[in-house]
Amino acid sequence: MHLDAGHRIRRDPWFLTGAALLGLLFCLAVFGPVLMPWDPYDTSFIPLDPPSARHWLGINDGGMDIFAELLSGLRNTLIFGLTAASAGLILGSVTGLFAAWQGGWVDQILMRLADIVLAIPSVMILILLAAFFQPQPWVLALTLAALTWPTTARGIRAQALTLKHGLHIQAARHMGGSSRYIIFRHLMPELFPLYLINFAAKLRMAVFMEASLAFLGLFDPSLKSLGLMISFALKYYYMDIWAHWLMPPVLLLSFLIMGTTFVTISLERVFDPRLKTAL
Amino acid sequence: MQASTRHTWLTPVLAYLAAALILAFLSHSLPRMLPGDFVTAMYGASDVTLTAEQAADLRALYQDNSGFTAFLGRVFCLDWGYSYAFQAPVAALFFDALPWTLVLMGTAHVLSSILGFVLGVEAAWRRGTRTEKAGVGLMTVLEGIPELCSGVLLLLVFALNLGWFPAAGAQTAYADHTFVQQVADRLHHLALPLTTLVLAYFPGNFLLARAGMVMVMKSPFVLTARAKGLPPLRVRYAHAARNALLPLVTRFGLRFAFMITGALVVETLFSYPGLGTLLFNAIAMRDLPLIQGIVLAASIMVLGINLALEFVYILLDPRVAHAS
Repeated sequence: MHLDAGHRIRRDPWFLTGAALLGLLFCLAVFGPVLMPWDPYDTSFIPLDPPSARHWLGINDGGMDIFAELLSGLRNTLIFGLTAASAGLILGSVTGLFAAWQGGWVDQILMRLADIVLAIPSVMILILLAAFFQPQPWVLALTLAALTWPTTARGIRAQALTLKHGLHIQAARHMGGSSRYIIFRHLMPELFPLYLINFAAKLRMAVFMEASLAFLGLFDPSLKSLGLMISFALKYYYMDIWAHWLMPPVLLLSFLIMGTTFVTISLERVFDPRLKTAL
Repeated sequence: MQASTRHTWLTPVLAYLAAALILAFLSHSLPRMLPGDFVTAMYGASDVTLTAEQAADLRALYQDNSGFTAFLGRVFCLDWGYSYAFQAPVAALFFDALPWTLVLMGTAHVLSSILGFVLGVEAAWRRGTRTEKAGVGLMTVLEGIPELCSGVLLLLVFALNLGWFPAAGAQTAYADHTFVQQVADRLHHLALPLTTLVLAYFPGNFLLARAGMVMVMKSPFVLTARAKGLPPLRVRYAHAARNALLPLVTRFGLRFAFMITGALVVETLFSYPGLGTLLFNAIAMRDLPLIQGIVLAASIMVLGINLALEFVYILLDPRVAHAS
């Protein structure tokens, strides 16, 4: 079944487009700042200088090279997204697996806890934390993960519960396989598609949040971010800066969210058995 | 059966109550964990030098040393503190801004839900045709464009380049309008932020309604309804689409975080005088009591809406009420 789904996902045009977009943006974020001749924090250029051969996207109001800023902002946005998504995925998977395997009151308590955390609007906590303490982005990313793990935990738990009663797991148990052996060798590998779906969905959410909250002025203003660039550029909307200052971060952010959306939707279509007919 | 029905509504109510308490507790205790106090945070970085007496007075005005239960009592009595940037009670500012947000978000939700649902159901019905494939493709692309980006584009094209719509505000200030003119003026101001939000919410509704409908259309009861010779519209809406509503409602809670964040951004972008803009101004001026008040009150409203949805879900799907 996995092999079949693997084949189908590799032929899904949405997945391919999304993966290509994300791959391109990852390369830009990883290699861009290294190859860039200008430091994004160097303020020694002429403020509001239009694009030229030396500075492809011109200079912003603070005398910084916009292209260098853009690459560094993309990198920060991606780092935030990846941190929040990986932490949320790990937290959710471990909780979900543990709850399903233990069952009984452990399961009950963990799932009620998940209900409560799920009810808390995560944006509000992030705004409160960011406004009061102005923490580093990674603190906010981990907070976001601590607030978004229940969706993953629920999905993983439900799937793990059905697997737990599956014939092959029963067989492994009767042959004397320890809990650890069964969890690591049977349960965890079989849940692989769920990790992918959850990771992509969480990445999308985190990138969206980072850009929006940075736009609202809740992130450290000295750190580059796509949302922050849009907010700074909008202050000069009456000038001729649309094409080279405002549009690049807007487009880059759109491509980033689009890539994650395509991958998420396509993974859900291929791997979710209930949605299989909807493909 | 009696016990099981109670169990279905008791669990969400308890979960939401606990969530509300956690939120209230965080918003009560986080400011206390700040190094220094509101007064230091406010005047520490400014040029004003306070005398000891002035500092003590300000502290008495802004600082709140009450315990958690007293704090809860004040939350219920709408005594949410005093905003130092606007020099007004937080509750008054909140309730001034609330109607604008309700109009904007309410209209956006109603429009995008109806549009998304009807078009999603119709698309599923016409599955496999070229129009349907193009529609699904377009919606998937639209789903990938965040409000921040579509809003900036709409602002650029329709407000600044073409000048068809105002770029900011919710009504023309100090205008001498008749009632009809005033409504028209407010709708004119609402157009761009509303379009941005509908563009953001509608594709998700469309895709969910379509996926739900495609699954439902395979079920035997739809075949029965068709075989009975019922008119297609009746089969589609009275029989099948009712069940396609379920994924829309279940996913709503999960999508709510996106929706609030998006609404904050859209209001700020178009300077619409709702809660989002108020919060943005409060953040820009580091008006901590105001941020605290808006966050707590808005969170409790969100919790209320989500809890109401849990009940809508039970009403829509009788199976939930009868399950274990």
